Amino acid sequence: MNFMPATMNLNMTEVPENHYFVVHPLDDVEEEKVDTSTLGPMPMTTSVKVSLIALRGYLALMVLLVFYHVMDLAGVFGKH
Amino acid sequence: MQGKVIAISTAGIGTPTEAPVVRGKIVRSKWARNLLTFLMVFGPGLIVMEADNDAGAVSTYVQAGAQYGTKLLWLLLLLLPTCYFIQEMVVRLGIATGKGHAAMIYQRFGKWWGLFSLFDLEAVNFLTLVTEFAAIALAVSHMGISPYLGVPVAAVGLTLMVLTGSYLRWERITVFLCLLDFAWLVIAFRLRPGLGGLVHDTLVPGVPVGGITSSLMFLVIAIVGTTIAPWQLFFQQSCIADKRLRFADLTWARLDTFLGAVFTIVVAACMMIAGTAALVHGINFADPAQMANDLRPFVGEVIRLGILLLMINAAVLGTTAISLSSAWAYGEVRGWPHSLQMPVKKAKGFYATYIACVAAAAAIVLIPRAPLQLIILGVQVLAGIILPSAIIFLQLLLNDKELLGEKYVNKPWNNWVNWTIIVVLFALSLILAAQVVAPNLFPSA
Repeated sequence: MNFMPATMNLNMTEVPENHYFVVHPLDDVEEEKVDTSTLGPMPMTTSVKVSLIALRGYLALMVLLVFYHVMDLAGVFGKH
Repeated sequence: MQGKVIAISTAGIGTPTEAPVVRGKIVRSKWARNLLTFLMVFGPGLIVMEADNDAGAVSTYVQAGAQYGTKLLWLLLLLLPTCYFIQEMVVRLGIATGKGHAAMIYQRFGKWWGLFSLFDLEAVNFLTLVTEFAAIALAVSHMGISPYLGVPVAAVGLTLMVLTGSYLRWERITVFLCLLDFAWLVIAFRLRPGLGGLVHDTLVPGVPVGGITSSLMFLVIAIVGTTIAPWQLFFQQSCIADKRLRFADLTWARLDTFLGAVFTIVVAACMMIAGTAALVHGINFADPAQMANDLRPFVGEVIRLGILLLMINAAVLGTTAISLSSAWAYGEVRGWPHSLQMPVKKAKGFYATYIACVAAAAAIVLIPRAPLQLIILGVQVLAGIILPSAIIFLQLLLNDKELLGEKYVNKPWNNWVNWTIIVVLFALSLILAAQVVAPNLFPSA
């Protein structure tokens, strides 16, 4: 395998015949990504609402369970 | 394609006279182009996977091997596609948006969910860092080195790794550390149990002798929680954004992630096999370092030292990845410059966050009689809470057509697989919580 380092104009389409020009991501010109700056919060579709409600319910339950366990360890519910 | 010239670049194109100069390499064949491109893209996938084999993972897998031999290897095989599917979604999201996970949650789900995710991530990450340094302290003390020397040296080394102002330099060091974990294969080969049983236990799911007990359930949940960690979602997306992977790199990033997943699961299996040596020789241990010491009469000094050094390596890998995930996430939400490509003076907040995480965790471990067991328990609780929520946000973002467009959103089969994973993770999390509240839910071992 023969690698030839090269510095080339980005716009140059004439690479030697049967050769390929490979650029590391960090050396490449920054690519245009999805423009997220104009996007606000996600639209609350039914599935998103259901997912977030389920998540809230799960988190509330977990917090209660942890709270219960801490109280139990502290002996609030009597010794075992 | 013979005779046709192809220029490879995926960035925007200006006029010939204004085109920026780009450094690259010229190769002569397609396979060379593909190989070189893969090698350039390779890194985030391997690191995110292998760094997950941190000190906690060593402890968990070794304990699983010591308690149940090779009977839980099938679980690791099931976790291989699971962790790949989850991280593949992260890859798509990172490449499409060029932004980190914390920033996306903040932007698309609002301030409350954004701050919740950030706070939970930072909390569980910090506690995990303490356990990493605790493992370093333990390992070095078994090597006859004072933790008051070993821990600060590790902390300084971890800090210097990121302060070079070069993402590539950090990546190459970290990839090297990841590849050191090949030594686990050597240790597993040296300690190997019978091949027939090994293959059977890997391919055929089964319940160990004794049935489903509370101890087994805890271990299964610990293995799942160790193999799929919340910080991985944040780390890989930020890493991909920092490395500026392009749309054309998606295939190679997927391959990087897949190979990372395979390597990680193989290493995890080797850790489990190492633990079986304790079972075979009737050794009871409190931690892997003690196990390594107690195994010395049977396996020799080289294996003992190898396990201790690999424990340190696992902790170092975990620390750098977890600290970076914290620093990236915090920098994204605060709007600070946050890139390993930037020198310290241009990204002070980012580097300060990383250094603060490392220094504070190292300092806590050195406090005499620090409540490390409580911290380890805290990690398990917080991780059990954050993982399902992090995965839900990921799933919702990957179905966000407004964000990703038709090309990069989940296909229906993606959603089937991912919702199945989410339901199973939720169920395991609730089982863990139920066991804490009702310890007699499953029979004792």
